[in-house]
Amino acid sequence: MIDPLLSRRLIFVTGKGGVGKSSVTAALGLALADRGQRVLLVETDTYSAMADLFDRNLENSKVATVRKNLDIVNLHAEDALVHAIKQFVPSDRVARTVIQNRIARVFFKAAPSVNEFSILNMVRHYLEQKNGRAHAYDHVIVDLPASGHAVTYLNVPDTLHGMVRVGRFAQISKELGDYIRDTSKTALVAVCLPEEMPVNETIELADALHDTLGRKLTTTMLNMVHKQPFEPTHRELFDVLRESVPSHAPNKAHEASPLSRLIHGNALALDWYERDLIYVEQLRERIQDGVEVIELPMVYEQTGIAVLEKLADYLNGKWSDSDSLAS
Amino acid sequence: MTDTSQIHDPIAPLLETARLVVCCGPGGVGKTTTAAALGLRGVLMGRKVIVLTIDPARRLANSLGLEELSNSPQQIDLAANLSHVPDSVGDGEFWAMMLDQKKTLDDLVKRFAPDPGAFERAQNNNIYRLLSSTLHGMQEYMALDKLHDLYTGGHFDLVILDTPPTKNALEFLETPSRAKTFFDERIIKWFIPNRQKTGGLFSRIVDPGAVVIKLLSKIFGETFIKELTEFFETLEFLQQALQTRGEMIDFIMRDEQTHFFVITSADPRRMKEALFFHEKLAELGQKAEAFIINRVIPEFSPGDLDDLSDTKLVDVVDDLPTSELGPLRAELERTYLALSKLAVRDREAIESLAKRIGAASLRRVPMLGQDVHSIEQLVNLSSFLTPSRPVHA
Repeated sequence: MIDPLLSRRLIFVTGKGGVGKSSVTAALGLALADRGQRVLLVETDTYSAMADLFDRNLENSKVATVRKNLDIVNLHAEDALVHAIKQFVPSDRVARTVIQNRIARVFFKAAPSVNEFSILNMVRHYLEQKNGRAHAYDHVIVDLPASGHAVTYLNVPDTLHGMVRVGRFAQISKELGDYIRDTSKTALVAVCLPEEMPVNETIELADALHDTLGRKLTTTMLNMVHKQPFEPTHRELFDVLRESVPSHAPNKAHEASPLSRLIHGNALALDWYERDLIYVEQLRERIQDGVEVIELPMVYEQTGIAVLEKLADYLNGKWSDSDSLAS
Repeated sequence: MTDTSQIHDPIAPLLETARLVVCCGPGGVGKTTTAAALGLRGVLMGRKVIVLTIDPARRLANSLGLEELSNSPQQIDLAANLSHVPDSVGDGEFWAMMLDQKKTLDDLVKRFAPDPGAFERAQNNNIYRLLSSTLHGMQEYMALDKLHDLYTGGHFDLVILDTPPTKNALEFLETPSRAKTFFDERIIKWFIPNRQKTGGLFSRIVDPGAVVIKLLSKIFGETFIKELTEFFETLEFLQQALQTRGEMIDFIMRDEQTHFFVITSADPRRMKEALFFHEKLAELGQKAEAFIINRVIPEFSPGDLDDLSDTKLVDVVDDLPTSELGPLRAELERTYLALSKLAVRDREAIESLAKRIGAASLRRVPMLGQDVHSIEQLVNLSSFLTPSRPVHA
């Protein structure tokens, strides 16, 4: 399922806020690490989801190993900026002086896109990092901001190159832009939910990527797809049961009978399943040709890392989604 | 567990008197839809309400059943969308708009430009072009500017502001000071050439002591610094206007008729993010006055299956093909068990949040089987937000 990603060293993951972007990013990292690939997961947020998911205290911008073959880092813009400045000045001391200068501080804080550039520049550094003669990482997976900002983010190198045409800075911007646009080197993964607005946003993202960067998404991952609560052949029987049991408002379940709760819980699960079917279909129809659509099953019962391991197993074909309710 | 939802209603009294409600919280919890539902609630109280979303994704239009929203206020025709418009609407009006940052910046420059040529000069400047359409740093600032117009315009009684997911929303609250920084006079003077002097543009900004500028130009190239200088020069006239506005927006944010709502779902990770947001608000000297918890799974319990062990489905309904009842029951119980475990997890997360922030400001909205994509459904959703004001449609 994730074979198309194995050949791409740089993987960006984005998606509408709240679709489970970070969870899917982590599951993808686990799945690749399980295949023997050395993986670094990069977050660019102040609030680290990975620290939660892997239950680790993360120090800003410090790489931590959480599994065999799997490292994570929560990259902070200021640290990335220091790293970037160092490339342009003779010594660390000068770099620090620049950063600490009042005017420079204001410039870096206020000038848009400096943060994004610094972080992408740091990502490049991780990609080039060597462990002996081999690359330290086979894959660097970046958990990008929500899809509304993702295109802007990925377009920052081209934008800057448009402004600064000559010199070392221009050269780095150009190289970064070229790398991101190269579909054989960089994969773009959009995480989505089988709901109206996330599907719309994924389509908008795909179109915007095409218009702005001239490239396609590699994969879309539909997260938390609900499976049918019972065999379709039992539908008629279920409907009879449903009509025989008094109904209740969704916020009045505590006043209903256990039997009523059993039936209406299943009715809700059936609604979700039927709604999901519609949106899975919509996404498959509307997404550009050649963009792979992976459906990730809703994992009930477990929480935290157990869910991620299940999803990683699913991505590697080690666990079947027909077990998803029975799990 | 007793449902306290009928006892207190933290939201209705605020919606009756508020002039600004800022909706914040993590993404994917139905925040934009909830913002629209809150707005609709205000309309049902007879107020003139506008819902402003600064999210670059076009979600608000979706939940209002519109094709698209534009950069100017658009009125939603309630009569055309509801089978019956409740009497309580009275003179109330329902409006919505989405921020188009490029257009907002252009409008601003046009309005404050000292001469007609200034806007044209700005448009020809690379930095202005990129800043206004591509780079998202200014977006939050532009939202505040729009907010300022709507708030002070006089037509609307209530502005509902939908913010982007957590991280960006934090930036948004910090924006007034950030914009002030960007247009800080002391900084601009380094970049804006002294008109008394002669000589090339670039030579003029390299004043003695401006080593840093030299260094910046070494890094970013002379062209970039030259463009930046021009940019600051073009926008010099905007500085005072923007600074005054930044201060006024700070003032609006601190007004007692401004309220902050945190919107989240019951998922433990979203709850944690919501709490993080709550703390960030406190850091900024603000307080979340209501927590709206969306998509709460009904009160299912794994224990129900034990209570049902003596109940026979065949007794519930006659004339059913009994041979299939057994297998169906097994499936129903399996699904219910999975769901009820999720429900328990959600309830525990809500209880722990209630302990932190107090149960009185919590408002639970149940998980519905369908998405909201019409005004009629929005009315239904909004009825869970303010249970003390039922809709008599």
